[in-house]
Amino acid sequence: MNRYILSKKLYRNELATFYSFLIGFFIAIIVGSLILIIQEKNPIDVFSLMLKLSIGSINSISNSLNKAIPLILAGLGISIINSVKLWNIGAEGQIFMGAIALNLVYINTSIQNPNLYIILLLGSGFIGGSVCILIPAITKVLFGVNEIITTLLTNYIVIGITIYLINGVWKDPASLNFPAAAYVDESVYLPIVVGKLSSGFLICILFTFLAYYIKDKSVFGYEMRIAGGSELTAIYAGISAKQKAFFAMLIGGGFAGLAGAIELLSQTHRVSTGISQGFGYTAIIVAAITGMRPIGIFLVGSLFGALTIGGSVIQTIGVSSYIAEIIQATTLFGALVAQFFFSYEIIKKGKNV
Amino acid sequence: MNSPILEVKNISKTFGNIKALDQVNFFLEKGVIHGLLGENGAGKSSLMNVLSGIYIPEEGTIRIKNTDIEKMNPDIASSLGIGMVHQEFRLIESFTIKDNLTLSKANIFSDNFEEAYEKYSDIFALNAHYETRINELSVGEKQKVEIMKLIFKNSDIMLLDEPTAVLTPQETSQLKNSLEQLSQEDEKTIVLITHKLKEIKEFTEKIFVMKNGKMVARSLDTKNVDDNELIELMMGEIKTSIFEKNNAKGPVKLETKNISLSNDDGQVLLNDISLSIKSGEILGIAGVSGNGQVELANVICGIERSFEGKVLINAKDVSLKGVRSRKKLNLSYIPENRLGVGLAPGVSVLDNSAIKEYFKSSYGPHLSKGKMVNYLSDLINQFSIKAPDEKAEISTLSGGNMQKLLMGRELISNPDVIVAAQPTRGLDVSAVDSIHKLIINQRDNDSAILLISEDLDELFKLSDRILVLYEGKVMKEVEIENASIDSIGLAMAGINE
Repeated sequence: MNRYILSKKLYRNELATFYSFLIGFFIAIIVGSLILIIQEKNPIDVFSLMLKLSIGSINSISNSLNKAIPLILAGLGISIINSVKLWNIGAEGQIFMGAIALNLVYINTSIQNPNLYIILLLGSGFIGGSVCILIPAITKVLFGVNEIITTLLTNYIVIGITIYLINGVWKDPASLNFPAAAYVDESVYLPIVVGKLSSGFLICILFTFLAYYIKDKSVFGYEMRIAGGSELTAIYAGISAKQKAFFAMLIGGGFAGLAGAIELLSQTHRVSTGISQGFGYTAIIVAAITGMRPIGIFLVGSLFGALTIGGSVIQTIGVSSYIAEIIQATTLFGALVAQFFFSYEIIKKGKNV
Repeated sequence: MNSPILEVKNISKTFGNIKALDQVNFFLEKGVIHGLLGENGAGKSSLMNVLSGIYIPEEGTIRIKNTDIEKMNPDIASSLGIGMVHQEFRLIESFTIKDNLTLSKANIFSDNFEEAYEKYSDIFALNAHYETRINELSVGEKQKVEIMKLIFKNSDIMLLDEPTAVLTPQETSQLKNSLEQLSQEDEKTIVLITHKLKEIKEFTEKIFVMKNGKMVARSLDTKNVDDNELIELMMGEIKTSIFEKNNAKGPVKLETKNISLSNDDGQVLLNDISLSIKSGEILGIAGVSGNGQVELANVICGIERSFEGKVLINAKDVSLKGVRSRKKLNLSYIPENRLGVGLAPGVSVLDNSAIKEYFKSSYGPHLSKGKMVNYLSDLINQFSIKAPDEKAEISTLSGGNMQKLLMGRELISNPDVIVAAQPTRGLDVSAVDSIHKLIINQRDNDSAILLISEDLDELFKLSDRILVLYEGKVMKEVEIENASIDSIGLAMAGINE
């Protein structure tokens, strides 16, 4: 009798993650098309409209890239934390916390030089994100509490705090009962680069390379890899695995916090529930699809930004914007399945007993 | 003699090309405590797994209670009254004692549980209420529950795999009384697997000895058997291939003074260990695994920090120093656990090759990949390692190449002190040979080497001096010229002439 078993491949194709993404994306387009056909829409029409409105002009491209900024930054943060094999599900909360920290600093300080002020505000956003993940980091390192649960739960807490603040102490009287904090001054808006593209995107490029450097080229990244591979090996090598996990979490949280700060200074200009529309969750998909590679996160994040913009504009022809989310989620699903088949093979084995 | 309650004939079982059991004959007499003696890998556990239906042998017959068993499986074994206590407990930690005891469908005390619990907790001297959760019990108490579990599911053939390994001496003598009571009052048939000669002589009435998958002695009368005879059966002949031992020795490079260590449960792991190794000298540490070897290595290398006593490297007291600063004094450690401690699984060959000296490839926070690659190619050339690709995951290397990479990484700096634990375990003959040459070569380059091994052939071949660890104590220390395999074997089993 023969039986079939899964066996891990010795050598994995270098480009396996990329191919997996292509396969996943292809499957997602097919699934999306089927759903559109069920709704009696022509998928080609819908997709070409999405394409036109997301990358058809300088303005639409810049809209797409602006949307990509929080996905990329939060995704990079997730990938740094994953270097020690931990999962950050709390990017959504960290994005809000970044915006809250920014506003807190903004209403309590005043600096004449707007450039310096912007840097200070972005820095406080980064620190806000780190503070947000501080409790999950401490409980993980000291007591081994599962970080997936704690980071997820902080999302609800932080969003609760946000709602409390914008309905209470920070509520802008001029906002006509809409719960939001007061707008920040125009002088601290992030400047526009071209079209509508925020200079936040340049920060995003910079941080992509920073994340790549930290993960692949630095001593800290090396120590994170060893600690992520085996805690016992880390101890043997004189590396404190717990310390690496702690700092990886703080840095990763900071990346997401920075995303919230950029979102505030370039898009919403005030603290409101609109700071993030699930960016922190979509960022998990982005990071997972790319196998936690910073450059990949940058590219897939940009694509997902375009998909989100495309999704929101097709509502005008009576198609739900959820089609974009279905495509994003199905891409992840397809890519993960494809990655599995790139890593394993099914081999036939004669009965051995 | 009555007809045996269990009898197996000509059982064979192979794994890959290793014969774990080779034509084994074995039998048990009702109500008797049997001992099964043998080194690691002699086939004791394989035989027990065959009896409990976990392994299916390729050939041989099994006859239990006068019935021939055609096809064995764990269910049948259990219904025939065979029960086994494994080295790792199979208890549900969050359940109570009662839940664990009554879990089996074969539970025979469902109506009179309390009465039975009272009787057996008395026999085992278990002072815990049956509503206590398992995770509140000590290791020794858990083991009592584990053995009681067999009684509650009506096993009358009880197989105990190294039950004393986790026990304190007091608990061990308590266990002896409990087992005696069970065999006398309940007529339980018991098999005790152990390495410890002293225990097998105290506990048992009949002794079986295994060696290399074969049963080399059957049903010896414990009363009439001699220690030396047992050791000879267990260890067999030693090969006389020995490296030259006229190596020059220099000043003392590694010294430990009165090292003691206990774990959180208060079990003593190391007890007052003092040793010293000169440059150009190999000190072999003999002992059955789990007698303190790993702990000793961890104390010397700075991984285990909560010990008492002193560690000196090149006459410098490093007792309070961490791993990194000891490495800077040119100490190398080849840990017993190759993949998982010495090498990080899931991480590339390149990253793994740099674990010892990656800080030498760094400029501040920057890690120079070029330097790491050069270092790796030095290792590959100097130690003839076959590695497919620097980016490949470490576990794609063969065991021998993994060990060569690990050894090379630790030896390329010509260390002053080397701690090598089980450096050749699981390797094929040619890999063993090249690892041995590396160690001797390092000795001739004036390293002080602490060699931990369970393989006596290896220890005799390489060491200048042998020290035997037993239950965390130095049982014996002897120059190689005066060492005999018998006396080392006896000391490993806890007997000092």
